[in-house]
Amino acid sequence: MQTARLSGSGQVARRANRGRETLWFYLLLAFVFLILEAFGPGVPSQIRAFANDLVAPVLHTLERPVRAAQGGLERLAGVGDIYVENQDLREENERLRQWREAAMQLGRENDRLRQILKVPKREVPPAATARVIGVGGGTFERSVLVGAGSSDNVIAGYPVVDENGLLGRVIHVGRWTSRVLLITDLNSRIPVRVERTGALAIAEGQNEPFLRLRFMPRGSSVQVGDRILTSGHGSAFPPDLPVARVSEIAADYVYLEPLGFLGKLDFVRIMAYTAVPDEDTILPEDNGEDGDG
Amino acid sequence: MAKVISPMVSGGPVGLMPVGVTVFLAILMLLPIGSGVANVTMPHLVLISVFYWLSSRPLLMPYGACAAIGFALDLWLDVPLGLNMLLLLLARLFVLGQLKHYKGRNRVVHWAVFSVMAIALYILSWLIMSVVGGVFWPIKPLALQWLVTAFSYAPVAFLLGRLRRWVL
Repeated sequence: MQTARLSGSGQVARRANRGRETLWFYLLLAFVFLILEAFGPGVPSQIRAFANDLVAPVLHTLERPVRAAQGGLERLAGVGDIYVENQDLREENERLRQWREAAMQLGRENDRLRQILKVPKREVPPAATARVIGVGGGTFERSVLVGAGSSDNVIAGYPVVDENGLLGRVIHVGRWTSRVLLITDLNSRIPVRVERTGALAIAEGQNEPFLRLRFMPRGSSVQVGDRILTSGHGSAFPPDLPVARVSEIAADYVYLEPLGFLGKLDFVRIMAYTAVPDEDTILPEDNGEDGDG
Repeated sequence: MAKVISPMVSGGPVGLMPVGVTVFLAILMLLPIGSGVANVTMPHLVLISVFYWLSSRPLLMPYGACAAIGFALDLWLDVPLGLNMLLLLLARLFVLGQLKHYKGRNRVVHWAVFSVMAIALYILSWLIMSVVGGVFWPIKPLALQWLVTAFSYAPVAFLLGRLRRWVL
C-alpha cells in the first residue's frame, strides 16, 4: 500500500516535472522582457493601459463592498467620538464661513485687478473627477489606478489633486482608466518652493510615506511646519499647488509630510494642465515650399 | 469496485479552480484597501496561492499558468514586465524540487518553507529592480511586505484549504 502510494507520488512528481522544456522557454521569455525593460524601450504604455482597462470592471465591482466595509468599520470605530467631533466641526464650520467670505472678497478684488492689468487667469480647469479603483507597484512603485481615461479627455502628464493638495500625475492613460504616479514614488521629482521664504527646491519621493526636500539654495531657512508649494518650474505642474509640510529637519535632509491624503484616497481631481507644448506643435511646420521648389 | 481517483489529479473545469482562484487573488491585490500604503501592506496573495496549490495540487498549476499569471500581474501592478513571471516560475521550480522533503508534514513546516522561499524571492526581486531601475531601492518597504506576506500565509492557506476540500 505504502509502495503504491509512493510510486503514485513519484508519478505525479514526474508528470509535474515534465514541462522542464517549457520552463526554460518561459524563463527565457521573462529574461527577454526584463532586458528590454532595463536597456530597451520596455513595454509600450498602451499595453499596460489596455490591461488596466480589462480589469477595471472587476475592480469597480469589488471596490464597492470593500469601501462599504471600510466605511462601516470606520463608523463603528467613530461612534464614541461623535459628540466631540460634532462640536469640533461646528467650530471649524464657523471659522470656515468667515474665511469663505474673506476669500470671495479677495477673489473678486483679484479678478478686477487682473482685468485692469490684463493679466491672464491662472485657474486650471479640471479634466475629470474620478474614483481610485486600484493600487499598483507592490513594494516598488507608489501608484494608483483611477476610473477615468481618454474617454474623459485625460492625457498623460496631467496633475492629480485632492481637496488638500497634490497627489501625483497621470503616467498611463487607457480608454476608461489612468494610472497616477504618486508624489511619494521614488521616481517622483517635483519643483517646489517654500511658501514662507520663496526658496526653490526639489521634493523627492522615497517610496516611503514622506518626501525629501533637496537642492535648497545655500543660506535659505526652513522651519518645521512650513508649507511647500509647486513652483511651476519645468512646467510639469501648475504653480502654487500645496504639496507638503515640513515635518522634520535632520542633519542632512529635510523631510516632508504630503498634504494630500495619500493613505486613504477615494475621489481625486485630474487637472487639465499642459503648460509644456507637444513636440509636434513646437516643431516648424513643413509647408512644402522646399519640396515644390 | 469503487473507482479510485488520484487525490493529486482533478480533471475537467474544476481543475481550473487553482488558476482561477489565483487570478482572483491577483485582482484582489489591486484593490485600494488603504490606497496609498496598500502597495506595501497588501500581502503577495498570488505567491501564497501559487505556493499552496503547487504544494497540494502541482499538476493544476503548470509552468504556463505561472508565467501567464505573472505576466498579467506585471502589467496590472505596473512593475517591469517579467518580474513576477520570473518569481512565480522560480517558485514552481523550488516547490517541485523540495516538495518531497515537506509533503505530508504539518502546517507550521509549510509556513516555514514558504517564508524562506518568499524571502529568497523578495531579495531576488530587489536585485532585479535595482538592475532594471539603475538605482538601489529602499529595503524597508520590501522587508515589511515580506513580513506581511509571511504572516498572511497561515490564514490565506487555511481558506484555500477549505476551498480545496470543498471543491476538489
